[in-house]
Amino acid sequence: MFREIKKEFKIISLSTYYAIQREMLNKASFLSNVFFMILNNLSMIIQWIVLFNLKSNIAGFEFKDILLMWGMAAGTYGFAHFLFEKAFSLSSLIVDGSLDNYLVQPKNVLLSAISSQIGVSALGDLIFAYIMLILTGVTLPKFLLFTLFIVTGGIINLSIAIISGSFSFWFKNSDIIEETSSHLMISFATYPGGIFKGIVRVILYTFIPVGFVTFLPVELLLNFDLKLMLILIAVSILFITLATFMFYRGLRRYSSSNLMIARI
Amino acid sequence: MKKYIHILKAELMTSLQYLPNTAFGVFTFFIFVYIMFMVWQYIYSNPQELINGYSITQMTWYLLVTEILFTSLGGRRFCKEICKDVKSGNITYNLNKPYSYVFYALFKHLGSMVLKFIVDIIIGVALGFILIQSMPEQTVLSVILVLVTCFLAELISIFLIIAIGLLSFFIEDANPFYWLYSKMILIFGTFFPIEFFPEYIRGILRYSPIYVISYGPARLFVNFDINEFINILIAQIIYIFISYGICSFLYAKGSKRLNVNGG
Repeated sequence: MFREIKKEFKIISLSTYYAIQREMLNKASFLSNVFFMILNNLSMIIQWIVLFNLKSNIAGFEFKDILLMWGMAAGTYGFAHFLFEKAFSLSSLIVDGSLDNYLVQPKNVLLSAISSQIGVSALGDLIFAYIMLILTGVTLPKFLLFTLFIVTGGIINLSIAIISGSFSFWFKNSDIIEETSSHLMISFATYPGGIFKGIVRVILYTFIPVGFVTFLPVELLLNFDLKLMLILIAVSILFITLATFMFYRGLRRYSSSNLMIARI
Repeated sequence: MKKYIHILKAELMTSLQYLPNTAFGVFTFFIFVYIMFMVWQYIYSNPQELINGYSITQMTWYLLVTEILFTSLGGRRFCKEICKDVKSGNITYNLNKPYSYVFYALFKHLGSMVLKFIVDIIIGVALGFILIQSMPEQTVLSVILVLVTCFLAELISIFLIIAIGLLSFFIEDANPFYWLYSKMILIFGTFFPIEFFPEYIRGILRYSPIYVISYGPARLFVNFDINEFINILIAQIIYIFISYGICSFLYAKGSKRLNVNGG
């Protein structure tokens, strides 16, 4: 099993490496995508500067905590999109029959499909995340925890994309579900959890698990709790297991569209 | 003009075939408004409080109007389409057609967004009443005039997005410029009225597109004033000419640089 995992990791690394090489063919476009994404995220901080001018504490968060929250939201998004961009358009892969390419390869179908493309601008999100970490004061334990939570949150983001994309095995036009779930995850992730109350808060820890992507990790970075951290890791494993199960369950229903394309 | 109306009709018919897409788009709009309403409710701890001259009722309706203008536009996807047209060379199909590409893109997009615009207005008004249970004072005339400014605002936004998309003639990918543009609109016009910014920024914003495509129509809705309406209308007409001029210039210059290698 260990050898199998090692092999899959090697495939992801090589796949990412070649995807970066491909994107770097146009250096100007690559760099501008990364740079503008950092700028894009930075501009949203203005919103919080205005809000903190009106109130010094929002839902128990100070300005520094908001920066950390933004870093976490951008980092988890960046992690999932940079390495597994295709997971966010899984629906179109299934509907137009492009999944055929991955079925004939002697590799893990899901892993090779979702890691076949990188999100260039997502690299900007990752860089932005660490800029925010530095601005809020970085220590080695904080850096390690932050990185761990980026991975767990990124895995949850990725799982939601796979689950919503896999609906295409059963329903037509489920690309809307894919797009909406992605929108929902980003929208809620960039606001302090404390402003949401009642049933909405429950939804944010279940159907739209933003709570495990940003709310809880930020809470843990501010007040560490080992038990909660272990729960967070367990939840991300649970989500990716569920996503993998759903994908392979749906794959049984997949039938090729005999799409003929040239892959160069 | 007739040919453009046909393009608009064709796109409208297409959007009617994809009603679930519109429904999910409305859901996204609902979520955006809900989140921002939660934030404002937190900021306005006292419901009678006035912040920079805005009550919670005015602030909520300001947000609803600006969100309707922003989300029904579908700018990100539209800009991607224009960029793709240029990068893939598809734009060449339009070179020998008896119409202007800029007007073609304008009417095509108007056709695809008109249904969502109407649905967003209906949902927005309903949402406003559910969330805040009151509305700034309105007359039939003021509502009609605000709708006129909203329509012109969308027109200017479409021209500006076409202009950003056409930058792809000169740079490889113009999408990042749209990200930045949309964030500026969101922060300086959608989330906050310009009164929330320091005086020196306010001065700049009053002459920027934000005044005509976001702040102006929303401000009129929450506090109608006929003189302000005239100012906004004049500014909008000037901006329509400027933004159309930029699009035509970029298209004329860009199409000369076009190099398509068969297919």
